Amino acid sequence: MRKFFPVEELARDSRFTQINMRQAEADPRTAMVGPNAAKRAKVNRLTPARPDASEAARNLMHGIFVGEIQALEGAGRTCHDFELPDPKNGGATDTVPFALKLDMARQAWDESRHVEISVKLGDWMGSEIGQFAENTVLFEAACSTDPVMRLAGVNRALEGLAIDVFTTMKEFGEIAGDPYLEFCEDWMLADEVTHVKMGSDWLRKVTENDPERRAKALEFQSIVDRLFSFGGARSESEDSPIGLARRFRELAGFTTDEVDDIADVSLAALEARKAFSAAAMAEKP
Amino acid sequence: MADPYKPRAPFAPWDRRQLPGLFDVEESARRVGNYKWAEMKLFETLGGWVATVPELDVKMRLGAHCYHHAWHAELWHKRLPELREMNPERLTQPANEAMVRFVQVLAEPEAAEHTIEKLVGVYRVFIPHFIAAYTFHRNNTSEITDAPTIRSLDFALRDEFEDWRDGEMMLQSLIETPEEVDRAAAHQARLEKIMLEAGGIAGPGTIGGV
Repeated sequence: MRKFFPVEELARDSRFTQINMRQAEADPRTAMVGPNAAKRAKVNRLTPARPDASEAARNLMHGIFVGEIQALEGAGRTCHDFELPDPKNGGATDTVPFALKLDMARQAWDESRHVEISVKLGDWMGSEIGQFAENTVLFEAACSTDPVMRLAGVNRALEGLAIDVFTTMKEFGEIAGDPYLEFCEDWMLADEVTHVKMGSDWLRKVTENDPERRAKALEFQSIVDRLFSFGGARSESEDSPIGLARRFRELAGFTTDEVDDIADVSLAALEARKAFSAAAMAEKP
Repeated sequence: MADPYKPRAPFAPWDRRQLPGLFDVEESARRVGNYKWAEMKLFETLGGWVATVPELDVKMRLGAHCYHHAWHAELWHKRLPELREMNPERLTQPANEAMVRFVQVLAEPEAAEHTIEKLVGVYRVFIPHFIAAYTFHRNNTSEITDAPTIRSLDFALRDEFEDWRDGEMMLQSLIETPEEVDRAAAHQARLEKIMLEAGGIAGPGTIGGV
């Protein structure tokens, strides 16, 4: 088995359709500009009051489901892709400590439960596996070949996004009077806070004596965070369906400055998305 | 009320544990080091395979089982210093070269169409050998002096039995044609021959007889 598995080969059964970020952003049904933009609600945040709330919630739940599959695959690959440090070559930067691998195996189990929960919740909400396309950007962007970058990408950016998504979905369940949804999202949220904290702790530990490497990892995380803002799908603006869960992010080891940075990056992504969509629509005959 | 000062036998009549055992401290530590190496290779392989398997139920089970084996590796890692091996990495070794080859062949299948081979390697060969090695150790080491190892062996064995059942049932549900039966048997035989050469997870004598 190879090290570093290519995103195009992520194995799925025949129900799944995979798309990349560019295809997702050019989708006229979700464009923030162009002829369909007028049909969108003024406030885009996912709440039960939205006229399209049921469909939007099903769509988001399916996104959670495929995101959990990719997170499971990412954690599993970290167990496999990196070797333990060789005592003769203690300074190697492409290795990970034994305890980090153990944490990633634990995370693989957690993500596997999240896939199970998401399948059952999707069923509960009336959707089917494969009903919506799977955007593979999570695995593609987060799974760097550098272990420190991967920690920043998977555990801080991807799992951080999961905190925001689960918080939004939990609130949705609470307002909609769906205790089943609220209960499940709350449990998954607890796991995600743990995963982000793992990432924050390991990142600090592994780069303890290498500030340059830490800075590079944080820069990489910022790039991935911009991508994971899905062109503004996650930000503090009411234009974004998913909010930014400040309190849970701080519990997971993000500083206030770091959360502020993600808020800024997300808002910038929202504006960039609008510009991108406009350009993509203009290209169409 | 019974007299609390009345002398009682130190071992209750129902406690039949025996002091003698087959393994001294060094031998127990050597075996534990082999177990840790093998459990590590198994959890790394399971983690790597998650992305390569299209069957959703199998993908999720591999994620859960990956953690079980990582936890066993952690139990053995923590046990080694208690067996006077202060540098656990020193004993975290394959039993021999054949075990290294076994793990290489086990982890070989990668294509999405090879789920049967992946599961056969783990659930029809590797895990049954873990069950054998752990059972032999559990039943032959001193029940009193090596009790902490026995406790870990019991935890690990419980997982191994349950994971074996999960894996075997997944395989039975995936194998649908006589050709697939042949594929499974051929891969099992290939791996079993290497394991035979290795003498088991802890080398010759893994389950006695040497």
